[in-house]
Amino acid sequence: MRNRALHIIGWPALAAALIALPYGLSFSQQEVLVFLTINVLLVASYRLLTLTGEWSLGHVVIMGVGAYASALYTKELGIYVPISMILGACTAALVAMLLSFPLFRMKGFYFLIGSFAAGEIIRLLWKRFRDPFGGPKGIKKIDPMPDFDIGIYSFDFFEPISYYYLALVVVGICLWIMWRIERSPVGLTFHAVHWQDKLAEAAGVNVRAYRTLAFVIASGFAGLSGALLAHYIGTVNPNSFDIEMMVFVLTWAIVGGTATFYGPIIGAIVLTILNEVVLREMGFEQMRPLIYGLLLICSVLFLPKGLESVVQKVLARRNGSGAAAAGEEQA
Amino acid sequence: MVELLAQTGLNAIYAASYMSLVAVGLVLIFGVMGVINFAHGELFMLGAYTVVALYADFQLPFLFAVAVGLVFVGVVGLGMERALFRPLRDNPLGGLVASIGFLMILQALAVMGFGVRMEHVPPVTQEVIVFSEKVRLAVPRLFVIVAAVVLLTALWAFLKKTRFGWALRASAQDPEAAALQGISINQTSRIAMFIGAGLAGIAGALTAPLVSVNPYMGHSVIVSAFIVIIVGGIGSLEGAVVAAVAYAFVHTIVTTFWDGVIADIVGLSLMLVVLIVKPTGLFGTADRA
Amino acid sequence: MLTTILKNGLTRRKLLGATAAAVGSAATASLLPKAAFAAGKVIKIGFLAPLTGPVSAWGKPGLDGCQIWAEWVNAAGGIKLADGNHMVEFIGYDNEYDPAKARTGATKLVREDEVKFIMMLGGDTWPGAQPVADTTGMLFSTLLPSDLSPDTTTLLAPAEVHPIYNVTGVEWLAENKPDLKTAVMCAQDDALGLPSVATYLAAFEAAGIEMQDAPLLFDPATTDFAPVVTKMLSTNPQIVCLDTAYSDYVHPICEQLFQQGYKGQIISCTADFYEQILEKTSVEFMEGFIFQFPDFDDPALNADFINFQEPNRFYEEYSKRHPGEWGAVSWEYASIMDLWRAAAEKAGSAEPDAVLAAMKEGGKGKHIFGDAEWWGKDLFGIDNALVGNWPVVVIESGKARIKGFKSIPEWYAKHGDLMKKHMAAYGQMWNQRT
Repeated sequence: MRNRALHIIGWPALAAALIALPYGLSFSQQEVLVFLTINVLLVASYRLLTLTGEWSLGHVVIMGVGAYASALYTKELGIYVPISMILGACTAALVAMLLSFPLFRMKGFYFLIGSFAAGEIIRLLWKRFRDPFGGPKGIKKIDPMPDFDIGIYSFDFFEPISYYYLALVVVGICLWIMWRIERSPVGLTFHAVHWQDKLAEAAGVNVRAYRTLAFVIASGFAGLSGALLAHYIGTVNPNSFDIEMMVFVLTWAIVGGTATFYGPIIGAIVLTILNEVVLREMGFEQMRPLIYGLLLICSVLFLPKGLESVVQKVLARRNGSGAAAAGEEQA
Repeated sequence: MVELLAQTGLNAIYAASYMSLVAVGLVLIFGVMGVINFAHGELFMLGAYTVVALYADFQLPFLFAVAVGLVFVGVVGLGMERALFRPLRDNPLGGLVASIGFLMILQALAVMGFGVRMEHVPPVTQEVIVFSEKVRLAVPRLFVIVAAVVLLTALWAFLKKTRFGWALRASAQDPEAAALQGISINQTSRIAMFIGAGLAGIAGALTAPLVSVNPYMGHSVIVSAFIVIIVGGIGSLEGAVVAAVAYAFVHTIVTTFWDGVIADIVGLSLMLVVLIVKPTGLFGTADRA
Repeated sequence: MLTTILKNGLTRRKLLGATAAAVGSAATASLLPKAAFAAGKVIKIGFLAPLTGPVSAWGKPGLDGCQIWAEWVNAAGGIKLADGNHMVEFIGYDNEYDPAKARTGATKLVREDEVKFIMMLGGDTWPGAQPVADTTGMLFSTLLPSDLSPDTTTLLAPAEVHPIYNVTGVEWLAENKPDLKTAVMCAQDDALGLPSVATYLAAFEAAGIEMQDAPLLFDPATTDFAPVVTKMLSTNPQIVCLDTAYSDYVHPICEQLFQQGYKGQIISCTADFYEQILEKTSVEFMEGFIFQFPDFDDPALNADFINFQEPNRFYEEYSKRHPGEWGAVSWEYASIMDLWRAAAEKAGSAEPDAVLAAMKEGGKGKHIFGDAEWWGKDLFGIDNALVGNWPVVVIESGKARIKGFKSIPEWYAKHGDLMKKHMAAYGQMWNQRT
């Protein structure tokens, strides 16, 4: 079987490429790579949320909830960093659960703006309550991931390469879990809730419960990405999770396309490389936002189905019809 | 105390005026075209920079600069409609991203043309209407209030009394049915976009001498405008005006009697409460997702 | 506009970088004569600050000032070290006021560009760069001393000692206008505003001036200041204090004070572009306005104890190149470079540890406003802020004039406990900062 062959060769090849990748990069590109890996988790979790048809503007704040929570657990309670990261993710999921009660009374555009308001309130609370959130300056000197040695490789988490490997493993596992969720009956119900919500309801599906479930799971992964970020840069503050950052996540998802699992990931990778590496290297200091804006407009105008549609076309041409699914899996 | 309340009332009326201008434009665009114009704050900024260029730099009369601001920003709106929103009519999220891209372009152009520092706009007049020692209203603020009342009344008359207005309301209510009635969606979109952008432009132009004009000034406007249109109900022009007035009064009073940060929290919380109690906003009925 | 685009759009880095493929190098070289010395002995200095976005007004004008500084120094033969003369080159990195990008930028500047010194705005961005400083021992400077803490020995606050210099304005006010006894204050709720609020509260208490109301905090996104001003004036204060507000707030607040009929004393940390405030209000209204940042054409700056090369000519040159952009940040980064240069030449080396040792030798340093001491153990946990005299500037007949230089350490010796009390109340002591 062709698909099987692709799996046997494709996955190890991809893994090897990802492991070798940082050695071909400069130091600052390695730093960008770390943030990019974390953002891949963020944007993939965002897609999970959008599966049910709801677009949130609070996702980055939820990421911040994970970051703040994990930072505070290590600082205030002295919890071991990897465990506090998981607790941070749980906290984000819990906060999302609480928010879902008011938010899922709304749909569509109202939900979009409602989630924005909820996020802004959380940010204002961070600013207002200096104890324990540190006010506008946020939290500093968050404990880093403790260094360790696994025999063949010794991890020094100041080094971007080390943290990249950590993030790669964590993000890889999370992506795999999200992929399994999407392919499970639960995930298929998410799709049904999006495309046929009246029908799903008529078939006895509790639409609101499934929306909430998607929101909570997605928020958990977003919280984990926030925790990964917090323990790398060692600081969190309310401004890092503002609407501008949210706009970036939104554009990654939409420019990449959200029909496939890999669409938003491609969007995040391509746009980050363009903005952080290409445009910076070309020295467009003040013009950078302008060119980035132009790129956004061009991509939605000329690639309305997202970058993923390009990948699909290429794969379809190479593998013949019907192999698009294989391409999806490979990514 | 009476004086303090009176002055607070005047402050609130002014805030309500410019906020209504911005919010009504945003609602009009969303109502007719179904797209969230994230760049609306930057259209406001563009109006302010028109005044910077014409009035402050070229020393043309202020009211001329304001009029140009209205028309110029309206025309930019037409351009956005033609280049961005029309091709993306079936793709509201695409429209959202396009407006975000356009916002970044406008900001960057403002930075490159004028620099990151705030711009100086000389006062049009320093006259102040003195009601009593502690109750005063500066004339430039009166301009904004008068302009808001006149323009919004004119808009109301246009929507209720003219054929175009009728067509506009029809396509805001139900675009498909309106199209079946022979109403051109392109036509109504153009009108909505021109008026919506023009209102943001004139609000920016009129307030330019009163606020700090800088390339990022649109940011703070759009957040309050979102709150206002949500509370009012997204499709509703009347709702936008009522919510703008309510929000301005609440925010001003809380700022005066507690402080500004608490006022923001109160504003956002009120909005959430409204959404929870009546998820379509005070005046919203249609379920447009 | 085209010239602006060329100037900002094409930096030297583009030429030096290996990826300059987009533009033919011959064509750009003619546009950028400055690139010529790139081949000689060059010391690179990192400039890691917001160059785009809403905070860029705190970074970009500083880089512009540094370019003038570099041209002057290079024209005069460069930095004279033990192994000969070196040219100076600034390498900018736009951190967008984001800690993650600050970390990336710090890594790039230290490990790829091999700079010898990095100047930052600080604030939100410093904690991002801090691990890089800790690991590499690179010398950093910040404009915000509240970034200082005992565990980073290579971070200095050598120019701005915000907000503690604000005590000098209040002290001068109390000495010269002793009948003013009541005050109100407003401030934006952010990392710059809060420590400044604590400072002013301490200074007012030390001067026997009574606060009529708790300081009024407003959100940084505020644009309409009428309610804020109405509230402040409701208690009929004799002094209105604007705290450390950006010019985006100072101007509309002053305008509102004017329009709402206020006639009393105003004291503020900054008054950038005060000519514009004058135009929006009146010369009489602004008479006696106290703040802390002199114009650089002030003759008082030509005094011998001022450690800044030709301040008047610098101001002139800057205003010529960037009309209307002059502000405190325009000179602050350049003044840090003066200090750095003196230390590097004394040490005969540009290596961070050698420069740091030379800079801090004897616990004294040459601050722009006169000889000063390395200070701050009490407030910041480490003596890495260069603190001495600071000018008190007063607007007289529409022109800012330095009315005197006042000593911050002397004030602190008398009233240090008050400062600590108020700083602690606002959670601003170094050991309180989480």
